[in-house]
Amino acid sequence: SGTKGLIQPPLPSALATARIIEDISEISYPEGIKSPQVELNVNAKQGKFRYDRDFLLQFMAVCKEKPDSLPPLDAIGLEPSDQHFTMSRGGSGR
Amino acid sequence: QEVDMQQQADNIRTVFSDPQNFNVKHPLYSPWTLWFDSPATKGRNLPQTPMTSFPQTPLPQTPGGLAAQGWMEDIKRVISFDSVEEFWGLHNNIVPPSQLPQKANYYLFKEGIIPAWEDEANKNGGKWSIQLPKDKNRLNIDKMWLYTMLAAIGETCDPLLDGEGDQQPQSLITGVIVSTRPQFYRLSIWTRTAPAGSGTPEDEKLRDRIEAIGKHFKMSVLGYSEGQKLAGPLATEVEFLSHKDSEKKGKQAKKIVV
Repeated sequence: SGTKGLIQPPLPSALATARIIEDISEISYPEGIKSPQVELNVNAKQGKFRYDRDFLLQFMAVCKEKPDSLPPLDAIGLEPSDQHFTMSRGGSGR
Repeated sequence: QEVDMQQQADNIRTVFSDPQNFNVKHPLYSPWTLWFDSPATKGRNLPQTPMTSFPQTPLPQTPGGLAAQGWMEDIKRVISFDSVEEFWGLHNNIVPPSQLPQKANYYLFKEGIIPAWEDEANKNGGKWSIQLPKDKNRLNIDKMWLYTMLAAIGETCDPLLDGEGDQQPQSLITGVIVSTRPQFYRLSIWTRTAPAGSGTPEDEKLRDRIEAIGKHFKMSVLGYSEGQKLAGPLATEVEFLSHKDSEKKGKQAKKIVV
């Protein structure tokens, strides 16, 4: 439920149209954003990069948009459990 | 010259410089697929409509592959992705493990590898895993799962990937799993191979590599200190077991503990 009224964005998302970075060393990030650890990509082949956790965590606050290819979660039985419900039935040993 | 450089920099917009209209994204070392199952996905005819637009993973046509087919029937493919930006879009719009029902699992595996030990990529492998009592870890599990996924997609778990000339050895990691059970959580990292314990130099080398993955998991990913004892009621150490030994139901199981 809940997801029915969702309006799809009319234009393809930036995510869908953005191209893949081919040379990670040529990317400069805004001030305050750390680049990935250089050691991880010393011999990196085109488009095959490794990323440290601190670098990856910086995306958490910026990449909020639901990917177009994510199906409605309730359609695949993926829904948050009602904690209160399970607890009131004695399901949790808390 | 300087102007050219500036122009080029202006043409490259990451999600940090323009969250709405970025034009480059960060590719992952490998594409990944997230799978899910819970009692709610089992034996229920869920509407398949949303899934038909996605290519289904072809199951290997081997005896093992056929056996895995039964196991895979109840496991739902959620999404495949190949960039850092897509991963976070997914992570920010999905149910965290702490809010999953009991007996649910997320399986994050490299694309083309099904989350079953029968898969070609898994059948000679094993898994590092840790079991954590639910009560004490309800507030930690989401972060632990996130850090486990980040180590997987960032490919920082396997030390041998640190550059050795031109060779980029294949990563030993095939996937990671979080499981919710009535009284505990389990986190696992699956590997492509497992040491046989034969004592040959090659096997010892593999064992070292597998152990390094376990140590990275325990210390860098989960944040425990080296030598810290973790076993207790409903809790285990960070331990490795080959899938072949798992089948033996503990009889001759040779666990590695870090």
